[in-house]
Amino acid sequence: MPSTRRLPHRAALLTAAILALAAAGCGSSADPSPGTNAPSTTASASASAAAGVLGIRDPWVKAADTGMTAAFGTLVNDGDADVTLTAASTEVSPMELHEMAMEDGKMVMRAKPGGIVIKARSAHALEPGGDHLMLMNLAQPVKAGDEVAFTLTFADGRTQTFTAVAKPFTGAQESYAPGHGQPMPGTSATPGMSMSPAA
Amino acid sequence: MPTRTRPSVAGLLAATLTAMALLLVPAAPAAAHNTLQAATPARDARLTAAPTMVTLRFMQKLDPAFTTIAVSDAAQRRIPTGEPAVKGTTGTVTIDEPLSNGTYTVAYRVVSTDGHPVQGSYRFTVADPTVTASPEVTAPVTSAAPATSAAPGSPSPASSTGATEGPGPLVLVGGGVLLVAVMVAGIVLLLRRRRSS
Amino acid sequence: MTGTSDARPVSRRGLLTGGALAAGGALAGAATVTAARPDTPGVRPAEAAPVAQVGSAVEPFHGPRQAGVATEPQAHAAFVAFTLRSGTDRAALGRMLRLLSDDAARLTQGRPALADTEPELGLLPARLTVTFGFGPGLYRAAGRDDRRPDSVVDLPPFRVDRLQSRWSGGDLLLQICADDPLTVVHAQRVLVKDSRPFATVRWVQQGFRRAAGAEPGRTQRNLFGQLDGTANPKPGVPLDTAVWVPDGPDWLRESTTLVVRRISMNLETWDLLGRADREVAVGRRVGTGAPLTGTGEHDEPDFAALGPDGLTVIPDFSHLTRAHVTDDRLRILRRPYNYDGVPTADGTADSGLVFASYQADIARQFLPIQRRLAERDLLNEWTTPIGSAVFAIPPGCPPGGWIGRQLLG
Repeated sequence: MPSTRRLPHRAALLTAAILALAAAGCGSSADPSPGTNAPSTTASASASAAAGVLGIRDPWVKAADTGMTAAFGTLVNDGDADVTLTAASTEVSPMELHEMAMEDGKMVMRAKPGGIVIKARSAHALEPGGDHLMLMNLAQPVKAGDEVAFTLTFADGRTQTFTAVAKPFTGAQESYAPGHGQPMPGTSATPGMSMSPAA
Repeated sequence: MPTRTRPSVAGLLAATLTAMALLLVPAAPAAAHNTLQAATPARDARLTAAPTMVTLRFMQKLDPAFTTIAVSDAAQRRIPTGEPAVKGTTGTVTIDEPLSNGTYTVAYRVVSTDGHPVQGSYRFTVADPTVTASPEVTAPVTSAAPATSAAPGSPSPASSTGATEGPGPLVLVGGGVLLVAVMVAGIVLLLRRRRSS
Repeated sequence: MTGTSDARPVSRRGLLTGGALAAGGALAGAATVTAARPDTPGVRPAEAAPVAQVGSAVEPFHGPRQAGVATEPQAHAAFVAFTLRSGTDRAALGRMLRLLSDDAARLTQGRPALADTEPELGLLPARLTVTFGFGPGLYRAAGRDDRRPDSVVDLPPFRVDRLQSRWSGGDLLLQICADDPLTVVHAQRVLVKDSRPFATVRWVQQGFRRAAGAEPGRTQRNLFGQLDGTANPKPGVPLDTAVWVPDGPDWLRESTTLVVRRISMNLETWDLLGRADREVAVGRRVGTGAPLTGTGEHDEPDFAALGPDGLTVIPDFSHLTRAHVTDDRLRILRRPYNYDGVPTADGTADSGLVFASYQADIARQFLPIQRRLAERDLLNEWTTPIGSAVFAIPPGCPPGGWIGRQLLG
């Protein structure tokens, strides 16, 4: 019979650390091991990062049937040099690197010039309301529970792949900078996105 | 002057009756419980021939699933009986062996229509004069004590409506009526005396 | 069972930068402990877990068997039943169960779910368990009816039943239990959100027991004041024998079954019953839970014992008599929770029991007991089953796996 464990204080602190990192969008190193070859510590729904430049923690993509959507996660740089992410790609959609920024006194989403820099020994959160990997036009539905493969390209030409699980998500309804067209599908407040569970 | 005192007598009477009615209201649910109305053999009967069955008639309809009738002898040995046959308000068990002379206890456990369990017991005696060599069954009468449960120091599981335990609701009602009658009589007497003086 | 802390190493610097919030929380917790421990007689601090530990206590999620069955019952529970959407086929079920397993794996270990919109609510697991149950409809939707345990079918009707559809049936069940109600509610919210593309909420039954540490190691009381669960199989071999399927294909081995019945308890008519009559109806003392022939809760009842009037001391229509089994293979593991709704304007209670029993085989263990109770249990006078559902509880999963993989994979 399973016996009860006390959550180690360390784990509580760690969790707080992750939260703090997520909230700040950046922070100090949070993972000494790049988490590259380590087996996924979670259920298979959360895919692990393949060997590569960065540690990619808790990647997920917002489920959507058509149009735009976005992928998120925390990029962890354990190296001594800054890493610049310049592009992301996936089979299901053309992609852009996006940021949220103030424009005319309003927070809007727009392409991030110069890519995303992950400083040495730090983590960079990709999250709703912050920097994210934008899927511009889905060629096929990304259904809840699907695992989507992504490839990251860095300034030095290296690449890294990872998979992210698709989550039903209605949060973070963003405004779009002019020229970005219509809002992401599924961002209407209803839980109606990706409602077709079958093919 | 009599015209002045008479209304107060009537008023007192009315007040007393009202009070009595109010007192009786809380007793109404208890009175709705099932009670034993008639039994064969009858309570405390002295029979010259051994009975072959026990029939109990209750105030309310019986549920066969919740009806138990047990017969035991003075040594508290259970006499083999059939399962209770239930018909309306009546339950009957057949006694499977001839009863010798002696005192027997009939105990019942039934359920009221509102689910209250009701249990009780009574005794009868078989004294068949034709039985010459009657085995001496003068065991101490233990069942005089209220039917307490086997567990020491704990309250009896038997319902307070059991026949052998405490005054039944009808007794209480009767007592109440008697009390009121005495009070009324007293008041009337008092008033008459006052008037005559 | 990979320890969370082992899987996620953290650097000193990470601790220093991120620890302020947690440290503040720990200090607040310590203050609470001090305040909540009055030096009153009867309080045995040695036995009760310090208050701060209630929130951080963890039950494992991964393992050959699902948690939340043999787990010491937590104080709060939500039983959430779903109806699968018409398009939810085997592939979709796999996607749903991967998502829900991942949510459960994280939340039970005190980590926010992926894409958790209220991550702070995921930090205190308070022994959270999420137990997955598969109703008959899930096997049909998956095209795997041949893998459904034979006894996982709707129960036959019983004459005491007054079942309402709003408390009955279900294709998928999540039994969410924790020692903290906020933890239960947050887990329920996360899991319901992730189930939306695949299923609709059919019913939710929330229940409670005594607070964590209030009465450690004691059988719980229901709202009739009775001890409820005295006859449970004891941990170890008796419980294993009663609850877990020991062999068979991998989708059955280490599985069990769950019967959830919503039992309305009529406190108004129960009030009319004196204490002695209540004990006759149940066959046990209210105070100690002892059978009427004994003195201790766990004394073996003597159904043959006669009182001085010749009646059995324990009535043959008592709940104890009708429910009693001695063979571990025939026992059921009761893990019920009380419910207490809002009384009507005149004070009539809406109270009862979310009866939940685990057993290896519903037909072998639950049904005979239920038949005997339905036929002749005096307690039926005050209790009414108003909901009923049956589920298979599939085996657990290893880290990286998901619940239901053996069935659907």
